[in-house]
Amino acid sequence: MSFLRLQGLVKRFGDFVAVDDVSLEVEKGEFVSLLGPSGCGKTTTLQMIAGFEEPSEGRIFIDGKDITGVKASQRGIGIVFQSYALFPHMSVFQNVSFGLEMRKVPEAERKKRVMETLDLVHLGDFAQRFPRELSGGQQQRVALARALVIKPEVLLLDEPLSALDAKIREDMQIELRGIQRTVGTTTILVTHDQSEALSMSDRVAVMNEGRLVQVDMPYQAYEFPETPFVSSFLGKSNRFSGVVSGQSNGKLKVKVGELEFEAEAGRGPREGPVHLSVRPEKLLLTAPAEGRFTGRVHTRIFLGNHWVYQIDSPFGPLLASHHNAGIQSVAEGEEVGLTWAVEELRVLAPEEAGDG
Amino acid sequence: MAEAIARRTLIPPYLLSAPALLLYCALLLTPMLMTFLLSFNSFDLYTGIKPDYSLANYLEVIQDKYFHVIFLRTFGMALVVTLICALLGAPEAYILNRMANPWKSLFLLAVLGPLLISVVVRTLGWALLFGKEGAINMTLMGLGLVDEPVKLIFTSTGVVIALVHVLVPFMVISVWASLQKLDPATERAGLSLGASQFTVLRRVVVPQVMPGVLSGSLIVFALTASAFATPAILGGRRLKVVATTAYDEYLNTLNWPLGAAIAILLLAANVIIITSYNRVIEKKYAEAFG
Ligand SMILES: Nc1ncnc2c1ncn2[C@@H]1O[C@H](COP(=O)(O)OP(=O)(O)OP(=O)(O)O)[C@@H](O)[C@H]1O
Ligand SMILES: [Mg+2]
Repeated sequence: MSFLRLQGLVKRFGDFVAVDDVSLEVEKGEFVSLLGPSGCGKTTTLQMIAGFEEPSEGRIFIDGKDITGVKASQRGIGIVFQSYALFPHMSVFQNVSFGLEMRKVPEAERKKRVMETLDLVHLGDFAQRFPRELSGGQQQRVALARALVIKPEVLLLDEPLSALDAKIREDMQIELRGIQRTVGTTTILVTHDQSEALSMSDRVAVMNEGRLVQVDMPYQAYEFPETPFVSSFLGKSNRFSGVVSGQSNGKLKVKVGELEFEAEAGRGPREGPVHLSVRPEKLLLTAPAEGRFTGRVHTRIFLGNHWVYQIDSPFGPLLASHHNAGIQSVAEGEEVGLTWAVEELRVLAPEEAGDG
Repeated sequence: MAEAIARRTLIPPYLLSAPALLLYCALLLTPMLMTFLLSFNSFDLYTGIKPDYSLANYLEVIQDKYFHVIFLRTFGMALVVTLICALLGAPEAYILNRMANPWKSLFLLAVLGPLLISVVVRTLGWALLFGKEGAINMTLMGLGLVDEPVKLIFTSTGVVIALVHVLVPFMVISVWASLQKLDPATERAGLSLGASQFTVLRRVVVPQVMPGVLSGSLIVFALTASAFATPAILGGRRLKVVATTAYDEYLNTLNWPLGAAIAILLLAANVIIITSYNRVIEKKYAEAFG
């Protein structure tokens, strides 16, 4: 039995359906990311779990108990808001202590727990500061401490890192994940940053236009996307549209223009029009004669640890990205052969209306 | 870049503000200085103002019980009006702020609209309502709630009601401004931590809008203490406040020096109260709100 269960959640604002039949099961201690583009209903879903929005349909269970009608203040859920929402008129200590005061925890124990939690987020020395005297990353950690100190059954994080700059964000990702492992709180993270979702979570739930499109482990979701939307939203991908022209011992033959490619028949369709997708890092550059087809390097970008090539091909512009292995790279304007390992070609359902 | 800065310093800032400064001096400081000087002159019922200098006028005001009552009444009234304005205006601003458009804009207009109407006109309106045969008394008697007309006009209650009406928009604006800085997520954070709606109001919202309430109080207090039109119309001859007393000395007794002394004392009292109040607040909120 899963610990947190969303059952057919729907949220309508007037005629507009912000969240459309979302069902999700989260195990105790699991870290799940809700990932999707802006406006896809992530925050609304989170607000329903937190009790700030009432679902139009569906139910929410925590540990088997139906909490759909329970007030936000009675749910015992910890939340970290995008804006941190620290109480500006209270010191760090008072901020963290607030939830314990509401629970009437005796003063001595309260002090102890507040300081323990502040130490957990490495802010033990900052207890007497006011929020405006802290950096963004530190405020973020106070917000996390404030949510964790009440030992919530479920921790909700709404884009907690989006206000931080790139370097601190990476550090915080690692730290946040570490803290979550330590305390073992069931956690849902909302983000529109795919790398954040992939790097931090046990499972990723990809949302689009109010619906859950795929729930999978990060590696699975990235390597075996079920729809073109997921394949383009999780990282970049090169896509061709084609038609299945034959099938032989588990392999599909797909005709794309003049060419025919072989691909593993995965979870996708096995006949009719399909999408083929290859990740940029799986698209290999070879000598012109050795590729499946040829193209010309249009632009080459150096990103330190890897090179990115934009290649003009008969199928439109393609992206390839390769590790900087210290080997002389292909120059702009050069003709190259393009290929991939058969198992790296994914067959997906063709684009649905509104998808991607 | 450096050139631009150099050019900018060619016209020093105080030169740029000179026109405004001149106007300010001519229209505000000069009359005030003259009033100040006038307050030291003496007055004779037959010969008028004499150009001598003494503290006699101040001593008269400070020693006369008659003036004590008037000063106490004025500042007492200012205190009461400020309190009522805070109690009405702060929740009003909070509720307004939570309304959805178009109601929000409509109600905001309704709250602030009266500022566009002259105080005199509005006060005359209150006079009509308050009178023995005014709308309020007619209604109360019609409903059988009272047998005799309630005395509202020429009472401090009436003056306080009208002043609250005149001044509550200032409180609303001031609290409104600080509500704009309040992150609504802090309220949700409070709720999620187990606080009731009421506790969230008391411990999260009120402390955050307190600076707005306090600065609104300053405005309302200062304006009430020096209010003239409303107490003059609704308080009449019997219910004098400092401003109307000064006016009477000027125009009825023609004792300008005494009127000037009263005016200066009012100004001084107002300034002292407001600056010390401000200092206390600043100390209290400097840490959290800088
Ligand atoms: N109170 C509301 N009234 C009407 N529409 C709303 C309301 N709240 C959200 N919506 C709409 O619901 C949709 C989903 O909103 P939501 O805030 O959940 O998106 P999101 O996935 O969190 O996006 P973002 O990444 O930009 O935060 C949006 O199109 C939004 O306009
Ligand atoms: Mg959001």
